[in-house]
Amino acid sequence: MSEHEKNILVIGGGISGLTTACEAAEAGYNVVLVEKDPFLGGRVTRLHQYFPKLCPPACGLEINFKRIRFSDRITYYTMAEIEDISGGPGNYNVTVKARPRFVNDKCTACGACAEACPVEVPNDFNAGLSMRKAAYLPYEQAFPMQYVIDEGACKKGDCTACKDACKYDAIDLDMKPDTLAIEASAIVLAAGWKPYDASKIDNLGFGTSKNIITNVMMERIASLSGPTQGKITRPSDGKEAKKVAFVQCAGSRDENHLAFCSAVCCLASLKQATYVREQYKDSEVTMYYIDIRTPGTSYERFLNKIKEDEKVKLIKGKVARVHEDPATGDVIVEAEDIYGGSKIREPFDLCVLATGMEPMISGVKLPSDVKINENGFAVMGKDQKGIYAVGCAKDPVDVAKSVQSATSAALKAIQTVGRLS
Amino acid sequence: MAEQVIKPDLDFVKGVIAAGGDSLKKCYQCATCSVVCNVTPDQNPFPRKEMVWAQWGLKEKFKGNPDVWLCHQCNDCTAYCPRDAKPGEVLGAIRKQTIAQYSSPSALVDFVNNKSSMILLILIPAVIVGLVISMFGSWSPEGEVIFSNFMPILAIQFLFTPALLFGVGVGIMGMRKFWADMKEANGVTTGDLKGSVTAMFKELMSHEKFKECDESKDRATSHLLVFYSFIALGIATALGVLYIDILHLESPFRFGYGTPIKIFGTVGAIAILAGSYLMMSNRFKHADRVGLGSYFDWLLIGLIGTIGVSGTLAWLTRVAGIGGLAYPLYFIHLVVVLSLFVYLPFSKLAHMFYRGAALSFNKYSGREALAEAQPAVEAAAAPVKSPSESEQTGTETKQESGQE
Ligand SMILES: Cc1cc2nc3c(=O)[nH]c(=O)nc-3n(C[C@H](O)[C@H](O)[C@H](O)COP(=O)(O)OP(=O)(O)OC[C@H]3O[C@@H](n4cnc5c(N)ncnc54)[C@H](O)[C@@H]3O)c2cc1C
Ligand code: SF4
Ligand code: SF4
Ligand code: SF4
Ligand code: SF4
Repeated sequence: MSEHEKNILVIGGGISGLTTACEAAEAGYNVVLVEKDPFLGGRVTRLHQYFPKLCPPACGLEINFKRIRFSDRITYYTMAEIEDISGGPGNYNVTVKARPRFVNDKCTACGACAEACPVEVPNDFNAGLSMRKAAYLPYEQAFPMQYVIDEGACKKGDCTACKDACKYDAIDLDMKPDTLAIEASAIVLAAGWKPYDASKIDNLGFGTSKNIITNVMMERIASLSGPTQGKITRPSDGKEAKKVAFVQCAGSRDENHLAFCSAVCCLASLKQATYVREQYKDSEVTMYYIDIRTPGTSYERFLNKIKEDEKVKLIKGKVARVHEDPATGDVIVEAEDIYGGSKIREPFDLCVLATGMEPMISGVKLPSDVKINENGFAVMGKDQKGIYAVGCAKDPVDVAKSVQSATSAALKAIQTVGRLS
Repeated sequence: MAEQVIKPDLDFVKGVIAAGGDSLKKCYQCATCSVVCNVTPDQNPFPRKEMVWAQWGLKEKFKGNPDVWLCHQCNDCTAYCPRDAKPGEVLGAIRKQTIAQYSSPSALVDFVNNKSSMILLILIPAVIVGLVISMFGSWSPEGEVIFSNFMPILAIQFLFTPALLFGVGVGIMGMRKFWADMKEANGVTTGDLKGSVTAMFKELMSHEKFKECDESKDRATSHLLVFYSFIALGIATALGVLYIDILHLESPFRFGYGTPIKIFGTVGAIAILAGSYLMMSNRFKHADRVGLGSYFDWLLIGLIGTIGVSGTLAWLTRVAGIGGLAYPLYFIHLVVVLSLFVYLPFSKLAHMFYRGAALSFNKYSGREALAEAQPAVEAAAAPVKSPSESEQTGTETKQESGQE
């Protein structure tokens, strides 16, 4: 086998994994991409806009999807996870288990199956803020553009409504899980992050009021394809959310939760403040922080621009209590205004918890020479060989840094393949 | 805090750290603690500001500061502190430092609260009690177990009355100094002294404030038990004095059960045993969230527990007529009670003076009324510092350079 026929395995199809895969493939190497979800793109697919330019993530994603479509060197598997990795640099043997999609390539995404499906479940893509059918398309621009049947929600056996509705013979309810054996010379870990479970932060009231939401939910609410078609309203009663609080470091930099700084949530809240301010001219935003972290000149400029808006208040003092006023549905936020020298309790229409990014890499069965640090991120030694971590599998980072690390990991993986063959 | 001239007192910082506040440096000034504290006032709440003062060694700030004494060490703040800086424990350590500021001679505060002097701490009163017994009593009285044959009542009075007067006297002197400092530091000149003190006692009787804590609610119960046991035992002792010195009755202790002295004594004994047991078990129960506490805390719990156990066992063995056990137990009991009297203003027990003063002052100055009248305060937008600047506001890096 020549070096170019050997595979580079990428685990995780978020922005980091996609970038690695495209870079390596375009340099002439074969790539196998394994993604756990039914679609590629990872967490950024749920974002309304990117800081600091406030452009939609779809543009960048679309380019990557095009690269994948036109490349004959990338094989990708969705709904697939790693079962086992053995061997070493140059000759890894990887077992991958793929869950059945129950929908094949003949799908035209006409939507007839979803219409016919009788089962409704909370839509996880929208962080549970809307419902979807058991036969569904993950989101409007999903790649691959192919419906999927939610095995856990589907009534199985009892119901064939979707299959009956499909005119293209695209549904096979008897599809079985698949086990694949993949040989790879190098492996890139790109399993990314998940939002920290806000209900664990018991003093911030998540779950006690619908109007206490997380920043990921806020992205969905602001998104035109989200549960409210982009109208920023409060979930309890649909009232326009014109007075919004952002609670920074919700579960990050906290020994009781995630001990590290999630690095992006200050910028994410500043960005989300612009969502509110753009939509309602008479809106007010208050952001409660310990210190605002906007490293780098372009982010600093972004912060300064937002500070010019006098309707955006920035208060130094971590929020330590949030609860709903049952009479009004307002959310009361409690903090100490450190510069002001007193405790404050303010009512808001909506309270956004800036929850952090919890690494997902510990969910992957890795060979023992890959170290995971106390925060759950993969540690990359100086003389790391064969396996490389990128993006949020390695550090809590933004998209720009994810892409940077992906490019450099692609290069290292290529070198491993080259050196060993 | 920009315009303030900083004069760090490194010994103060070291003292706080040595007294169990070693987590102090971890604080990054997020103010979670001030928010979760249920007893702090809204204006200039504690304990966040105390954390930064202590980190910086701003000893002056603690002069006449009633706030550290408003804290009941419930440790709600410690449970929620994101940095595990244990603000509740640090305040405890700061209180120890302020005891040293006001109870003189302050060297005794260090002596009493220093682990390495523990043996002397027990040995000195033991030798004194031993000497008095050798001179006026008898080490092994014959016949029925009667404690006054072991240590005559007069000898007890001769030893314990001055000890108690000393303890209380030093405490009151310290309290007066503290009161004057509080007035000066807070710019308060007049107020309703009688009203405030009465209100404070009322609050104390019900432990109303104490019950507002979330994390270790059960501490209110144990404290209440020990508090009332002290009152009950105090009354029993006072009755004893009344019988002997005023009514000139021989031995009031041999009267039957059901007399007031016995009732107060028995109730007090049960309360002190239950209370000190709960104090210990609570400390262990909450250890993983709020820590086990410092030597300063344990010394007091230990003393109180020993008083309760030795007193009760001495009484039981006396009733059972086992002199070989009853007398040694009674000896231990006398030694710890004497220690408690003398160490009163120097140990954690000094809190009865300083907390009492601070709670009264909080009413006297009107701070408490103010806090209750305006619960919600509109926040003024504060200028945001750039990250490089704000990095300087209370993070570990700075504090370390500030200390070394
Ligand atoms: C509220 C919020 C707003 C944000 N806004 C911005 C912004 O505006 N601009 C910006 O630059 N950054 C933003 N970020 C950060 C951005 O989301 C991350 O930088 C980015 O998602 C990192 O990409 P990634 O590919 O490393 O991880 P992910 O996006 O998490 O992708 C990882 C992929 O791996 C898959 N995976 C996980 N485990 C496995 C497994 N075991 N096997 C197979 N596949 C697996 C996942 O399903 C996922 O598809 C924001 C973050 C938050 C929390
Ligand atoms: S599975 Fe069939 S019915 Fe469903 S979207 Fe695809 S083509 Fe349409
Ligand atoms: S980025 Fe901001 S909000 Fe997020 S953990 Fe860091 S400091 Fe806190
Ligand atoms: S770090 Fe802990 S002690 Fe410091 S301000 Fe925050 S909660 Fe209080
Ligand atoms: S220990 Fe309790 S009373 Fe003391 S500051 Fe902390 S929360 Fe307040």
